[in-house]
Amino acid sequence: MFGLPLAFTIPAVLVALAGLPALYYLLRVTPPRPRRVPFPPLRLILDLRPRDETPAHTPWWLLLLRSAIAAAIILAMAGPVFNPLPAGESRPLLLVMDDGWAAAPDWDLRMAAAMQRIEEAARRGQIVGVAATSDGGREILATDAAQALDRLRSIKPMPFIADRLALLVPIANFIAAQPKAVAVWIADGVERGDAREFSEKLARLAPGAVLITTGQAVRALAGPKNESGELGVRVLRSSAHGPAQGVVRALDLKGRGLGEARFNFSEPGATSSTETSAKFDLPTDLRNDIARLEILDEHSAGAVSLLDERWKRRRIGIVSGETADLSLPLLAPNYYLRKALMPFADVREARPGTPDPIAALLDEHVGVLILADVGNLLQNDHDRLKQFIESGGILLRFAGTRLAAADSDDLVPVRLRRGGRILGGALSWETPKRLAPFDAQSPFFGLEIPDEVTVRRQVLAEPDADLPGKTWAHLVDGTPLVTASQDGRGLIVLFHVTADTTWSDLPISGLFVEMLRKVVDLSGASANAAETKGEKAQTVPPVRTLDGFGVLGTPPPTAKSVPVTFGQAGDADHPPGFYGASDQLLAVNALRADDTLRAADYFASGLASEPLRQAAPIDLRPALLAVAFLLFIADALASLWLSGGLARRFGRAAAALAMIGLACSFSPSSLRADPKHADPSPSQNDLQAALNTRLAYVVSGDPQVDEESKDGLTTLSQVLAQRTALIPADPVGVDPARDELAFYPMLYWPIVAGRPQPSAAEKAKVAAYMKQGGTIVFDTRDALTAHAGAPPTPEATWLRHLLDGIDVPELEPVPSDHVVTKTFYLIDGFVGRYEIGQTWIEALPPANPADGARPARAGDGVSPIVITSNDLAAGWASEPDGESLYPLVPGGARQHELALRGGINLVMYTLTGNYKTDQVHVRDLLERLAH
Amino acid sequence: MSDARLLTAEERQVSSAAEGTALDLAARLPSLVVAAKEIASSVMHGVHGRRVAGSGETFWQFRPFVAGESTAGIDWRRSARDDRIYVREREWEGAHTLWIWIDHSPSMAFISKLALQSKLDRALVLGLAAADLLVHGGERVGLMGLTRPMAARDIVGRFAEAMLAEERMSGFASAELPPSMTLAPRTQAILISDFLSDPAAIAEKIDVLSSRGARGYLIMIADPVEEAFPFVGHTEFLDVDSDARLRVGQAESFRDEYVVRLAAHRDAVTSAARRRGWNVLPHRTDRPASEALLALRVRLEADPTQFARVAG
Repeated sequence: MFGLPLAFTIPAVLVALAGLPALYYLLRVTPPRPRRVPFPPLRLILDLRPRDETPAHTPWWLLLLRSAIAAAIILAMAGPVFNPLPAGESRPLLLVMDDGWAAAPDWDLRMAAAMQRIEEAARRGQIVGVAATSDGGREILATDAAQALDRLRSIKPMPFIADRLALLVPIANFIAAQPKAVAVWIADGVERGDAREFSEKLARLAPGAVLITTGQAVRALAGPKNESGELGVRVLRSSAHGPAQGVVRALDLKGRGLGEARFNFSEPGATSSTETSAKFDLPTDLRNDIARLEILDEHSAGAVSLLDERWKRRRIGIVSGETADLSLPLLAPNYYLRKALMPFADVREARPGTPDPIAALLDEHVGVLILADVGNLLQNDHDRLKQFIESGGILLRFAGTRLAAADSDDLVPVRLRRGGRILGGALSWETPKRLAPFDAQSPFFGLEIPDEVTVRRQVLAEPDADLPGKTWAHLVDGTPLVTASQDGRGLIVLFHVTADTTWSDLPISGLFVEMLRKVVDLSGASANAAETKGEKAQTVPPVRTLDGFGVLGTPPPTAKSVPVTFGQAGDADHPPGFYGASDQLLAVNALRADDTLRAADYFASGLASEPLRQAAPIDLRPALLAVAFLLFIADALASLWLSGGLARRFGRAAAALAMIGLACSFSPSSLRADPKHADPSPSQNDLQAALNTRLAYVVSGDPQVDEESKDGLTTLSQVLAQRTALIPADPVGVDPARDELAFYPMLYWPIVAGRPQPSAAEKAKVAAYMKQGGTIVFDTRDALTAHAGAPPTPEATWLRHLLDGIDVPELEPVPSDHVVTKTFYLIDGFVGRYEIGQTWIEALPPANPADGARPARAGDGVSPIVITSNDLAAGWASEPDGESLYPLVPGGARQHELALRGGINLVMYTLTGNYKTDQVHVRDLLERLAH
Repeated sequence: MSDARLLTAEERQVSSAAEGTALDLAARLPSLVVAAKEIASSVMHGVHGRRVAGSGETFWQFRPFVAGESTAGIDWRRSARDDRIYVREREWEGAHTLWIWIDHSPSMAFISKLALQSKLDRALVLGLAAADLLVHGGERVGLMGLTRPMAARDIVGRFAEAMLAEERMSGFASAELPPSMTLAPRTQAILISDFLSDPAAIAEKIDVLSSRGARGYLIMIADPVEEAFPFVGHTEFLDVDSDARLRVGQAESFRDEYVVRLAAHRDAVTSAARRRGWNVLPHRTDRPASEALLALRVRLEADPTQFARVAG
C-alpha cells in the first residue's frame, strides 16, 4: 500500500476515516457569546491576563490531537499488518546469495528472506536452485525445497567478496534447464565484485529476475596508520545512508579492549560522505599493542583491520655530541634525524641540560638509540649501552669529528681508522663520492639511490676480513658508508658520515629517510631478520583467519600461505587473518590500505527491486492502540493545563526539583586544594650569580692558586669594565660539585696536580655545562716544565684524567685566523705569566675554498674548551697602580698588557661567539653598499 | 449586577440636534441649568474679605503713619485722640479669577442603574453651579479654553452657549484633559472630570496649569459601578475611548485586582495634585450634586490666604 509494505485485514473500516471532518466540526463547538459591557476604566485592567477563561474555540492543536486519536482507533480497527506475505507465482526458483563479508552484518535477514522464498516454493512444490557468489563456476543443482534449505543453511558469509561474473555460466545453464525459472538475487549492495556488470547480465539471462537488497550502507575499515601522536584508520561506507556515527574499537592480540574512537561521516573533518577516519589518541606503548581494530556492532570481516609488526611505532632516542645550540637548528644533527624519523617513529630527546642523556633515554625504554657524533662515552653509559644492545636494542651511530677523534670503543661495528678522510677538499685531488648500489644482502637492497647524494668526508674502517660482510652500503670506490654488526640480540649500525650536512648530502635526501626506516624496522625483529635474510619469496602459513563475520578462527583448509611481502586484500586462497609464526605475525586484511567502498548501481540493469526486510508480518493493531492511549493521556494533560489545574498542582513540585538541581550544581570544588610543587629554592649564591654577568674560577683547594685566580679575574673584570661595554660583577669561586654552573659564561679552571679528581657526578655536570654552551679555560700553568716529546707533566696527566669520559671535541692550537684572536684586540696568542705555552681550542671545520681568503674564521658555536699552560690568571693580576702583581716571565709592562688583551678577547669570544667573523667584513660590505 | 450604558450621541451633546437658537439651550439644559442655579443658591455667598489690608469697605486696623506716605489715608478722628498719627486700613476686598473646565469626553457619558445622573450631566451641573455660585460671590469665572473670565449674572447661560458653540465647530473632539494654558498667579482652577486618563498626563497638565502658582481643585466624578465592579460571569468589557476590549470568563475574579488598581490610580492622581498644592474632591453620581458643591465651597473658604470668604 502506497509503496509501503502495509496491508489491512478489514479495509472496510477505513471508510470511517471519512467521518473525521465531521468530528472536527463537532469538536469545534463555540461557547455562548459573552455579555458586552462598556466600561470606562477598562484601561486600568486591560493588561490583566484572564486567569481562567474558557476560550472561544478549542485550540487547533487540541482538535488535531483528538482527530488523531480517532484516526488511530479507526486504523487499529482496520487491522493493519506490516510486511504482509507477498503473493507469489508458481515458477521454479533460482536463489542467488551474495555471501561476501559485506552481506555479513544483516546475514540473518538475508537468510530469513531466502528461506521465506524457498518455503513459498515448497508450498507450491516447485524446484529450487541455490547459488552463492563464492561458488564460482560450480553447477547449480535443481533440487526440491527441502534440499535447497539444507544447501542454504550451509552457506556462510566469506571474509572476502568473490567475483560474481564466474557465477553467470552456471546460472545460464540452470535457466536453460528451467526456462520458466524466476531468479531472486539477494545482493549485498556493494560494487566490489562486479555487481553492476553481474546485474546487467543477470537481467538479460533471466528476465523477470528479482533483486533483493538493503538500503543500509556497508561499513568497513581500511589502511590503519600509526602516526606520530595517534593511530588513525580510514572508515569507509558504501553509501550515505545509514547511521553517520559509530565507534571503532581497538583490541590487542588477546582480545582485550585498549580504547575506542568515534567517527562521524557527517562531520567537517570527514574526507567525503562515504569516507572518514577514526583516531586513537593513546600512548605509544598501548598503540603498539593494538592488533585489531573493528567497528563496533558491524559484524563483518571488512569492518576489521588486523595490525602486525609493521604498524608498531618504535621509540627512538637521539643523543647528539654537539653542544646544545638551539639558535642554529639547521646545523644540529638532531634536526635532520628528527625530521627523518618523525613520520614513522616516536623520537625522544633528552631534555637540554640533562647530565646523562644516554642513561635518561635508555630509562625511557627506547628501541633504537641514535648517537650522532658522540665520541667518548662514560663507563657507566658504555655498560648500559652494551646491555641494551645485547637485549635486542639497536644502536645507530653517526660519525663526526668527535667520533673520529675519540678513543676506540667497542660500540662500533668495525674498527675505525682515526682521523677520517676528506674528499674534494682543498688538499685532495679526489672529488666527492657517490653511493654504490646496495648489495643483495643489505637491508637497504631495493632502495633507489638518488644522483645528488655525495659524500665529502667520512671515517674509514680498517680493512678487516669481515668488513665486506658487515657493510650495508658503500661508496663507488668501495669504502664502507654504513656498517653493522650483530651483538647479542641487538645490532650496532654505524653511518660513516655525520647526521647533518657537513660531511655529505645524505641527510637531506629522501634516501636517508628510507634507510632510517629500514634500520628502525629491524628493531624488535632484528634477530629473526638476520636468520631469514637471503631467502627469496619466503611464504608464511595462515595461523588464524577471519570468517565473514570478522571473528578469528582456525584457517579453512583452502587457505594457502602468503609471501612475506603480501600487500593485497584477502581473497579466497588467502583469507584475511594472521599468517606466520606467533612472534612475527603478518596481517592480511579484507581491504587494501587505499581501497574504497562504492555502492552498487543496480538501476541500469532494470531488475525488479525489493527491499530486504524482516520476513515476519507485524500486526500493527496493538501499536496503534497504544498510540491512541498515549494520545488520550496527552489530551487529558492538555485539558488540565488549559483549565489551569496543571500549574497549581505541579508548580510546587517543579520548584522543589529546581532547588534540588541547583543544590547539586554546587560541587565541592572549592574544597580542593592545589597540590603545590615543592621547588628547591635556589641558594643565595646562585641568585646573585643569576642577576649579573660575572667571571668565575674553579676553586682548586690550593689557597695560593685560588688567590691568584681571584686576583687575576678581579683585574680582568676591572679592565673589561674600563675598556669594553661589559661591566662584570665581582668574580666568584665555584665548586662544580656544589654550585650551579649555568650562570657563568666562562669558567677559569687552574689545574693543581695532586688534588683529588672530581667524582663521576661532577664530571657529568662539567660535561653538561660544556654541552650547554659554557666555555671552560683549563690552565695547566706548566709552560716552563712542559717539553714537546717529554713525558706529560703532572698537571697534564691530571687534566687528561679529568677529561677522560668527557666528550671533548677535536682540538687544535689556536690558528692565527681564529676569531678568538680578533674579538676585541688583534692578538697573536694568549700570554699569561709565561708566553711560551701552547693554547688549544676546538678545531674549526676545514676552510671552505669558496670563501676565499677571510681574515677570520669561526665554527658554528663557541668552543666549549680552551686549554692553555701560560698561567693566565697570574698574568692578569695587577697592583692597584696597574703594575703586574706577580713576576712575569720574561716580564715587562708590555707582557702584562698583552695578557690582559688576551683575557679580554677570551671573554668577548665566549660572549659574542662568531659575531666578529661577520664584523671583520663590515668595511667590504659598506664599500659594496656605497657602489 | 448593574446595568450600565453609554449615553447616545444625542443625549451626550450639550445641544440637541436642533441647531442654533438660544432656546435650544433651554431645551438642551433646562433641568441642568435649573439644578445648577438651585444648588448654587443653596450655597450662595457675598463679596468676601481677604482678611488682609487692602482696598475695601470693611475696617481692618489702625496703624501708625509712616513719614512719606500719602496723607489721604490718615484717620484724623483717631489721630486726634493722642499725639500720634494713625492711618485707617480696610480689609482687601478683591474679585478673584477662577477657571472651570468640564470634561465631556466619551468616558463621561456613562451611566449605570445605580447612578442618579450620568457622569457628564453631573459634571455639567457641578461646573455650571459652581460658576453661578462664584459669580454671585463676586468672583470672575472663565470656562477654560472657551471664554474669558467674567462676572456676568447669566454666567450659566453664557457657559452653556460657549460649550454649544464649541461642539458645533467642525472636527470637534472632546478632550480628556483640559487645554494647556498657563494660569496667572492667584487664580484658581476647578477641573471636573472622571480622571481616568494616565496619571502622568494628568500630572503634566496640572504642572502646566500651575506653573505660575495657580491653585486648583479636581472634582473626580465616578459612577458607583466604576467603584464597586459588580460584574459576574462571562463578560466582554468595551473601552469607550478606544477599540480595546477584554473578554473575561469570570468577571468576579477581577474584582479584587480592579479595586486595588483603581485605588492606586486615584492615589497617583491625588499625589500629582498634592504635589502642586491642589485638592482632589471625589464625587459619586449616586450622591446629590449639592454635596460636592458644598465640599467645594468649604474648601474655597478654608484657604485663608488664597481664597475669598465665600460665606458673606
